[in-house]
Amino acid sequence: MHRTEDVLSTLGMVRQHKLDVRTVTMGIDLQPCGSPDLKTLCDGIRARIVHYAGRLAEVCREVEARYGIPIVNRRIAVSPIAHVAAAHTAEGYVAVARTLDAVAAEIEVDLVGGFSALVQKGWTQGDRRLISVLPEVLSTTKRVCASVNVGTTAAGINMDAILAIGHVLKDTAERTRDHDGFGCAKLVIFANAPNDNPFMAGAFHGVGEPDCVINIGVSGPGVVKAAVEDLVRHDPNVTLGDIAEEIKSTAFRVTRVGELIGREVASRLGVAFGIVDLSLAPTPQAGDSVGEILQAMGVLRLGAPGSTAALALLNDAVKKGGSFASSSVGGLSGAFVAVSEDLALAEAVERGDLTLAKLEAMTAVCSVGLDMIAVPGDTDAETLAALIADEAAIGVINHKTTASRLIPVPGKGPGERAVFGGLFGEMVILPIHAAGGSTAFVRHGGRIPAPLSSLRN
Amino acid sequence: MSMSTYIVTVTAIDCVGIVHSVTGTLRDHGGNILELSQTVMRDYFTIILAVEFPEPRNTRTLSAAIIANGAKFDLNVEVIAAGTPTHVAVVENGERFILTVLGVDRPGNIHGISECLMRNGVNIVDLHARSDGEKFSLVMEAFLPQALSPGVVRQALEQFGRGLGLESYVQHENIFLATTEPSPVRVGPPPPRQGAAVAPY
Repeated sequence: MHRTEDVLSTLGMVRQHKLDVRTVTMGIDLQPCGSPDLKTLCDGIRARIVHYAGRLAEVCREVEARYGIPIVNRRIAVSPIAHVAAAHTAEGYVAVARTLDAVAAEIEVDLVGGFSALVQKGWTQGDRRLISVLPEVLSTTKRVCASVNVGTTAAGINMDAILAIGHVLKDTAERTRDHDGFGCAKLVIFANAPNDNPFMAGAFHGVGEPDCVINIGVSGPGVVKAAVEDLVRHDPNVTLGDIAEEIKSTAFRVTRVGELIGREVASRLGVAFGIVDLSLAPTPQAGDSVGEILQAMGVLRLGAPGSTAALALLNDAVKKGGSFASSSVGGLSGAFVAVSEDLALAEAVERGDLTLAKLEAMTAVCSVGLDMIAVPGDTDAETLAALIADEAAIGVINHKTTASRLIPVPGKGPGERAVFGGLFGEMVILPIHAAGGSTAFVRHGGRIPAPLSSLRN
Repeated sequence: MSMSTYIVTVTAIDCVGIVHSVTGTLRDHGGNILELSQTVMRDYFTIILAVEFPEPRNTRTLSAAIIANGAKFDLNVEVIAAGTPTHVAVVENGERFILTVLGVDRPGNIHGISECLMRNGVNIVDLHARSDGEKFSLVMEAFLPQALSPGVVRQALEQFGRGLGLESYVQHENIFLATTEPSPVRVGPPPPRQGAAVAPY
């Protein structure tokens, strides 16, 4: 007999603390679809996705009913389209994006990621074409998500690509002006991008992956927060070491839920199981926030001194608990500080406690980076590029993934509210200190060389 | 050697030494305990044992011996001869699910819940329920026929609980094994389908 307490405890994670599987993401290799004929390429992409993912929605519903664990999103990550469509013109890339958008709707998938290019060391004609059509794709498709990897620890940082992306963000925001520049929320700029990330908008099916794979993104901010709150309530004098232990054991349970769901979905579909991404992914709902975990730990004003240390403790404890739970851990695996998607973080920004500089510092100790941050609409492309470069540098130097998802909100300035809706949330626009002060640096272009791997102090 | 098996149930107000007394009597009569389950519910001790003996025993004699040996505990004892085990599962190829019902306590909750399960061919194998003031909680292990979707059972339970302040959950036991045991995650066999795995495209 299972202990009643264990059953109620596990059930309580779902009932009261919003534990769910945030995403079941199927990675599909599209390289075999490559063809110089555009119709053949698009038809091949559709057929291959339907072949592997045609039953994904149905199977997710079966597994959801079997275990009583909500599966919030079903997503597809495909091979970087810059490679798959390399033989085609810019119009061809747009056609591929529309194909992905249509097939995602056809098979009841929420989002499809992989309209991506990997340009850390240099960029091909195909990469340039893909980046050039991003504004059109992001403003005219519903489900297509894009990403560009602009740097790695091994290759350095491609500043030419970053400047181009600064302009892409401006153009995309303008094209989606009616929705506060929402198109930019579907574009992630990475350094050290993982090949198996299940979370959007940055998921793509990278090199070294099998034909088809199931990756899982769990979500447990509410569960972790509840565990920390309970611990502190019962003994206000607990040490931070005690709190770390509590987070570890909670992360263990959350990860196990993810692995079970992932293995079951993969088994039923007859495809490989890949990884569980441990990332704590917030939603704009109260009680489902990474920021609230830090508050439960005693950082009542997010952004105050101590916020970075608390986040580091949280991130590390989650990884330790998750790594003990499963040998199949991957993706981003950390704590997201996606500002507009996290109620407590968004409120801290509104109060003026949490600044862009502090957020940047916090991203040095967690995943992913400057995520879902609304900035003034009149921010110039070079300043956006410089922000991205700063974040990429943190990742490249520290051998970790970082990313930027910046939204310049057209027609709005600091202190005004940007509303993206749904899981993307809303926030007050953050000012950029000394904007425009690094234009000459960014315009130098070229590549920031790869960092030294010795002399590490 | 043919063995005879008996089911022994004993209840009493809980105190130290009852298990020692009952099992001592059974040992003295040559019994070997095959299975035992004991709990204390609201200060009341309850035990049920399956015991085998080399030769048939008189149930009244055995019962009287247990009562006499445990006289100071004022035991209520029942001994019956067990039938021959059929080794046939009550629910063939069934899968073990955990059913949880939480909400407002009222007379008839468990009867209504068990009726929903009976109608769907669900076999209860372990059940714990309690009322705590106005709160009612029930956790049971039950075997669902393979063809029966857990969603159907949950729907039936929710239909019963609607208006009664009860919420119901039906979850495969693997989710609880995964979250409470450090051993590798177990996944049940996929349901049979035409055409197994997805062939490479």
